[in-house]
Amino acid sequence: MNGIKQIFCKELSRVFKDRKMVFSVFILPVVIMIGIMSLTSGMAEKAAQDVENHTSVVYIENEPEGFSDFLEAAGTNCKIYPVENKEDVREKILSGEADLWIAFPEGFLDAVMNYKKGDKILQVKTYYNPSEDYSSEAYETISSGILEAYRQTLLAQRVDDIESLTVFTVNSDNPDMIIRDEEKAGGKLLGMMLPYFVTILLFAGAMGIGTDMVAGEKERGTMASLLVSPVKRSSIVLGKVFALMVISGVSSLVYVAAMVIFMPQMMGGMTSEEMGISLRLSPVQIAMLAFLLVAIAFLYSAIIVLVSVFAKTVKEASSYIMPVYMLILVLGLTTMFTTSKPADWYYAIPVYNSSLALQGILTQELTMTQYGLTLGMTLVLGAVMIAAIAKAFESEKVMAI
Amino acid sequence: MIEIRNLTRIYKLNKKQMKESKTTNPWKRAVDNLSLTAEPGEIYGLLGPNGAGKTTTLRCISTIIKPTEGEIYVGGHEVQKEPEQVREKIGFLTGDIKLDPQFTVDYLFDFFGRLHQVPEEQLIKRKEELFTYFGIQDFAHKKVKELSTGMGQKAAIAVCLAHDPDIVVFDEPTNGLDVITARSVTDYLKKLRDEGKLVIISTHIMSEAEKICDRIGIIIDGQKVIEGSLEEILQETGTADLEDAFFELYSARREEQ
Repeated sequence: MNGIKQIFCKELSRVFKDRKMVFSVFILPVVIMIGIMSLTSGMAEKAAQDVENHTSVVYIENEPEGFSDFLEAAGTNCKIYPVENKEDVREKILSGEADLWIAFPEGFLDAVMNYKKGDKILQVKTYYNPSEDYSSEAYETISSGILEAYRQTLLAQRVDDIESLTVFTVNSDNPDMIIRDEEKAGGKLLGMMLPYFVTILLFAGAMGIGTDMVAGEKERGTMASLLVSPVKRSSIVLGKVFALMVISGVSSLVYVAAMVIFMPQMMGGMTSEEMGISLRLSPVQIAMLAFLLVAIAFLYSAIIVLVSVFAKTVKEASSYIMPVYMLILVLGLTTMFTTSKPADWYYAIPVYNSSLALQGILTQELTMTQYGLTLGMTLVLGAVMIAAIAKAFESEKVMAI
Repeated sequence: MIEIRNLTRIYKLNKKQMKESKTTNPWKRAVDNLSLTAEPGEIYGLLGPNGAGKTTTLRCISTIIKPTEGEIYVGGHEVQKEPEQVREKIGFLTGDIKLDPQFTVDYLFDFFGRLHQVPEEQLIKRKEELFTYFGIQDFAHKKVKELSTGMGQKAAIAVCLAHDPDIVVFDEPTNGLDVITARSVTDYLKKLRDEGKLVIISTHIMSEAEKICDRIGIIIDGQKVIEGSLEEILQETGTADLEDAFFELYSARREEQ
């Protein structure tokens, strides 16, 4: 026990007493993440605003009388030009100088007003460039929105009772249309993302430090000094793995806290309620999550240490750990897109089961058997790995001494 | 007491190593049927050229590597059966074992002391004593990576003696040190001997062996070719100094082969 404690404390002080290390392990990644997310969402917001504020350049061919007034009344921010040369307008739309071209048939209003049964239905053509943001926006608001309203106005002039044309509406006044358990819905969305995030945070948080903890010590020649001290090999391993768990746990907590605090900033002013991920967890759910997360941190730390043991240098260890990281990421991702209910035996597959269980806890669909199986498998596999690492510590070849 | 009985240590060479040593035999006998006994209160020196098997022998004593054949008893404990008890009794130092560069000397002294379960009070006393002797106080709070070679070696010696071991195993104790530091190290080894500790060192420096070792075992090609005090070796070989004795034994060995 003394050995585990001393090595645990030393590994923690290696990280926490070194300001540069604290900054690079816990603060820098979070700052970078928040910075990138805020920057991209800020830029997207600015671009959207810019499109909104843009005065659309609209060319109208055979403009019916009063159409420009109608556009103005609808509050559309646009400037209207008559079409003189069709080829010219086409070029302008292609180059992005003009945003929309509306072509009314000749004598449009007359034809509409004097419509008789059997007459040919008139067609208004609109042309735009979907590769241009301004053009797309003008098409959306004018071609799809305003023209529809204009059609309704003309229709009202043709028939006395426009209501008679509407046979029925669907959900025009039905605020209670969605019947669902709000907490379960929140859990479903979070349950999709959480396994993925947990993997990234817990594994990636421990990766850099973990490789240094074992392969780094071998590379620097400091491991041998531990091996000649009267401590069991398993104590050295456990001390290091426990310290790694704490480090990955702390780095995950910092991440989660930063994400919660800076969420509005990163999402461009949206609150979590607006995104539909409000979630209230019961104490049982919290306890289940906590135990499972600790078990996952234990397993991931053991995996990282195991891989690092077989590397001679930190560089080698980092290249070994990458495929493992990818594999675990993929397993975390698979739960994002499964719709069928997983069979019980799925919960015996290590790593994959923890993703399933995290999801199951949040959607409240996890049975105690499945939870127990997941927790048991995760801990057993972690313990087996610890034993393997301790065995590897005994090997002169592996330890390169 | 250290008692080595018929120690043999065989390494398997990889292709690169075989090419380097110009051999087609993948098995290398680094130590070959070596037996020796070292008693408390003496400095025992393993003397031999590079690659003779000195370091391998010391590493087997320190439980870092396992003997292929034979037994080693350190303070009554066999290295393969009770490695932890052996590690409790010894302080082992070699140029290959380094102190963690990220920590201060002071921190590492406490860390290794606590790993050896030295009571806090005793640890403070030991630190005071060793740091004063080696003049470590001036750089005790510097990180190891900021120390010069000499300072680093002194720090490493102090740290490995933190638990006041009965048996001290030093591989090339003065390797890479300046004359002044080397002298303070050899003086300290004599002090340990005078306190009744067993010190076993390896060296290829004849003058060092002559000056500090009470008994010397000369190893060539993994085998002990002679053992005894300086006088005994000189008498047996009929030479005037250790260097001559060594070459006498070395050429006799070559002729045998």
